[in-house]
Amino acid sequence: MSRSVVVIGAGTNGLTAAQILATSGRQVIVLDQKQPADVDFDAGWVPPSVRAALNIQPEAEEQGSWLVMPMEGGRFELFADIARSAESIRRLSPRDASRWPEFCTRMRRLAGVLETLYQQNAPDVETTDPGELMHLALLGLRVRGLGRQTVIDLLRILPMPVAELLDEWFESELLKAAVGSTGVMDLCQGPRSAGTAFVMLHHHVGRPAGVFRPLRTSLRSTLSKRTNVEIRHDAAMHLEVAGERIRAVTLESGDTIETDCLVSSADPRRTMLDLLDPGWLDPEFMRAVHNIKMKGVAGTVTLALSCEAPFRQMSLAPSLTHIERAYDDVKYGRPSAQPWLELRNSGQKIEVQVQYLPQVPREGAWDEAGKRSLGNDVARRVVDAAPELKDAITGIRVMTPLDLDAHGGLTGGHRYQGDLTLDQILFMRPVAGWSRYRTPIGGLWLCGSGTHPGGGVAGASGLLAAREILRDAR
Amino acid sequence: MAANRYDAIVIGGGHNGLIAAAYLARAGRKVVVLERRERVGGAAVTEEIFPGFKFSMFSYVVSLLRPEIIRDLRLPEHGLQILPLESTLTPMENGDYFAAWADHDQTRRELLRHSALDAEAYDEYGRLMYHMAHAVKPILGMVPPDPASLRPRDLKGMLAVGNHFRSLGAEQFHAMFKLMTMSSADFLDEWFETDVLKATKSASGIIGTFLGPRSPGTAYVLLHHYMGELDGVFRAWGFQKGGTGGISEAIAASARSLGVAIRCGQTVQKVREKDGRVRGVVLENGDEIDANIVLTSLDPRRSFLELVDRKALPDEFVADISRFKFRGSSGKVNLALGALPDFTCMPGFGPHLRGAMSISPSMDYVERAYDDAKYGEFSKRPYMDIVIPSLIDPGMAPPGKHVMSVFVQYAPYNLNGGWTDAKREAFGDAVIGAIERFAPNIRSCIEHRQVLTPLDIERITGLSEGNIFQGELALHQLFFLRPAPGWARFRTPIRNYYQCGSGTHPGGGIMGASGRLGAMAVLEDHA
Repeated sequence: MSRSVVVIGAGTNGLTAAQILATSGRQVIVLDQKQPADVDFDAGWVPPSVRAALNIQPEAEEQGSWLVMPMEGGRFELFADIARSAESIRRLSPRDASRWPEFCTRMRRLAGVLETLYQQNAPDVETTDPGELMHLALLGLRVRGLGRQTVIDLLRILPMPVAELLDEWFESELLKAAVGSTGVMDLCQGPRSAGTAFVMLHHHVGRPAGVFRPLRTSLRSTLSKRTNVEIRHDAAMHLEVAGERIRAVTLESGDTIETDCLVSSADPRRTMLDLLDPGWLDPEFMRAVHNIKMKGVAGTVTLALSCEAPFRQMSLAPSLTHIERAYDDVKYGRPSAQPWLELRNSGQKIEVQVQYLPQVPREGAWDEAGKRSLGNDVARRVVDAAPELKDAITGIRVMTPLDLDAHGGLTGGHRYQGDLTLDQILFMRPVAGWSRYRTPIGGLWLCGSGTHPGGGVAGASGLLAAREILRDAR
Repeated sequence: MAANRYDAIVIGGGHNGLIAAAYLARAGRKVVVLERRERVGGAAVTEEIFPGFKFSMFSYVVSLLRPEIIRDLRLPEHGLQILPLESTLTPMENGDYFAAWADHDQTRRELLRHSALDAEAYDEYGRLMYHMAHAVKPILGMVPPDPASLRPRDLKGMLAVGNHFRSLGAEQFHAMFKLMTMSSADFLDEWFETDVLKATKSASGIIGTFLGPRSPGTAYVLLHHYMGELDGVFRAWGFQKGGTGGISEAIAASARSLGVAIRCGQTVQKVREKDGRVRGVVLENGDEIDANIVLTSLDPRRSFLELVDRKALPDEFVADISRFKFRGSSGKVNLALGALPDFTCMPGFGPHLRGAMSISPSMDYVERAYDDAKYGEFSKRPYMDIVIPSLIDPGMAPPGKHVMSVFVQYAPYNLNGGWTDAKREAFGDAVIGAIERFAPNIRSCIEHRQVLTPLDIERITGLSEGNIFQGELALHQLFFLRPAPGWARFRTPIRNYYQCGSGTHPGGGIMGASGRLGAMAVLEDHA
């Protein structure tokens, strides 16, 4: 094959797919669509399968507490060391402290099941192919092999509200908020909505028992330094199709690249509905793509500091009820009056994830004044929680979900190209029946986090998509 | 004493208990039903609350009753007579309305008034839900297999469930998966654009749950309530003639004709158990009744945590039952009316009053109703499903007068500060106030009112926390998880003690499937 493979997007998934394809001898051009600077969407677990395929060393586990929360008379800290966390929890509730180790073990086991599922193609439950059926059966046996408790936990816990799950285990509101808040991370649901227990487990993959925050990864910057693929700073504007096959891509600069293999790490809606001429797609398929839920509800406020913050990660939500109330506002198109803030130390700055923000407020707008007041409000809350930063903030930068959409190329302002809800994972991602990275257009592939296994698992979609492409070529 | 010895005892004379008893008697067993109240029916009772005014006190409409039960127990011969409920009127905040009628063309014209796209989608949606209901139907009549078991019977069962869903074909399989996992709001968003249409449809997704229409899991409940539209030619929701109690009476009559002894006013205090086997029951008055088989149609909490010595049960099972969620969320207001309500959006006393009136003017309205309940308050402006049975069945009220049944959600069982008489009245006032916004004359029509909170429902019927389904219809409490993992097959850890209430698969509504399946389990073990 003489023509190059074109990959849209230079995020972890785009770059991973590009690397795999280049390594197997294809010419690859990656279109770097200019993600907004300073916002890292690639936090997440890099599965061993991705590391092995890309020949990348595991990143070092960070030391110290993985989460700090302000509490009356001091700070509450959680550590990778289960016993040490239990000590910390004992100050809140001795009963919770005694339950912590078992909770960590049980959740770890469930995350382990997800890890298995996330490193292979989504199970095809409709298949009649003997090989696939065998694969399904083996998967079933493997899960069964983890014991009766795990099977029941899996079926029972995944569809639960994270608040109910944690109510069964713990009594401390602060502890429940510390662990459960990831159940609604980047999701337009509250912790009392069903299915949020799954989201919590999703963000637990790849982490040691007892650590309920995703790891950050430098996978993207590592891959972008590799020179075996051509990176072009240009954006795809239009995909040309001939005879139901991809033919070429037109770029923002006006150039056209002819290709018979185009791999898009842009979200499915942008790829299929914006870049393609309507009319190439079956109305049912278009409707399904249109219906992908991607309601971005998180904004990012970056606080530039004159010194480094004295914590790695801090969560500002005293209880899950606080987060539930924050969610109530966004249901009616208002930014949360009392938001949930998640602070991440990033050297001389703090990145604050603010939840919940509507993409378009029902009243008012995300104009300069609105953003400024959001930024100041967040800065004030941060200083309240960490008074040592009082005079250290030197700059405030605000990205609302609308900014992420407009400048970040993220449709709906959603980081994961589609909510991670039970109806949008595995064989339902990106849309039912199309979970194997193909599209109805020959030679047009999807490899972004809108495909299985989705956001928060760095590079996995890219790797699995590339493998499908190579398998198809054989 | 021979009179106190039976082949089987059924605890609780609600519809499921009666159905289980009837099936056992039909198979030649000598059965007694023990009912705590002075009348059979449980939550399916008709009572003359005010002189001359008869009410379906709790459960007020029927559609889910399994047709095989109607046939097997020959219920029409014993008095089952369903009168159709033909329309739904949803008044809107702006004075407009949305109405669905028995006449398809009329509904279509109404839809066109709101949205041409929705009128197109409506028929397709109806077809899909019809297929989905059909697809779930075999599951309703099935004993749930245990997914964690490697016994051949369970593996076969799992395979059967898997193959059943796979046999639906891709499109229906995907739709089914979505129904099982989505929120009713999101599911309906995929189909319709008219807010009031979505609101009124989504409301059936929240009934008996403690979830809002935007929470995943409610689409399944939507389907659960759609199943009623199956076996009638059109709109199988309806009233029993003489009120819902008539259904219980019909089942009781059928059971009696099969030889079942029904004893009312008999409260079971304990289930007697020895060496892991059931022996009979002890009544509150100290009497003992012997039987080698006991079925409980009570909810799981009462069946296991109250009637049985906990020491006779495995710890894990006790823990599972203890965390089974009830959280009653609905109340009921029964009104005796001297005149008919006049709805602003559709003035006069036309045919719309003969159907249901749904107070669900917008998605936000229903969601806000949930917000109140979430934090322990009753909804200031609740979702309500209103019917006036006396317009269809004049015998329910004195001549010229009417009875109105108002199903209300949300009213949390665990109200902040607890329910008191004053709070009950405040709740009743909120209900009337919310109706008044759409039917301003309602207050002047009311001669008497009865307000039932979840606590009242619990006190009168015995349903724990007033949950009308004997346990929330949440995804993690369905099928093989209902009521506890490993114990969804109607058996219990105590030998010959069986479950047959709606706290088991497939759950609530006047469906009767649990009663029938419970009896089947007994007959399978004791052929």
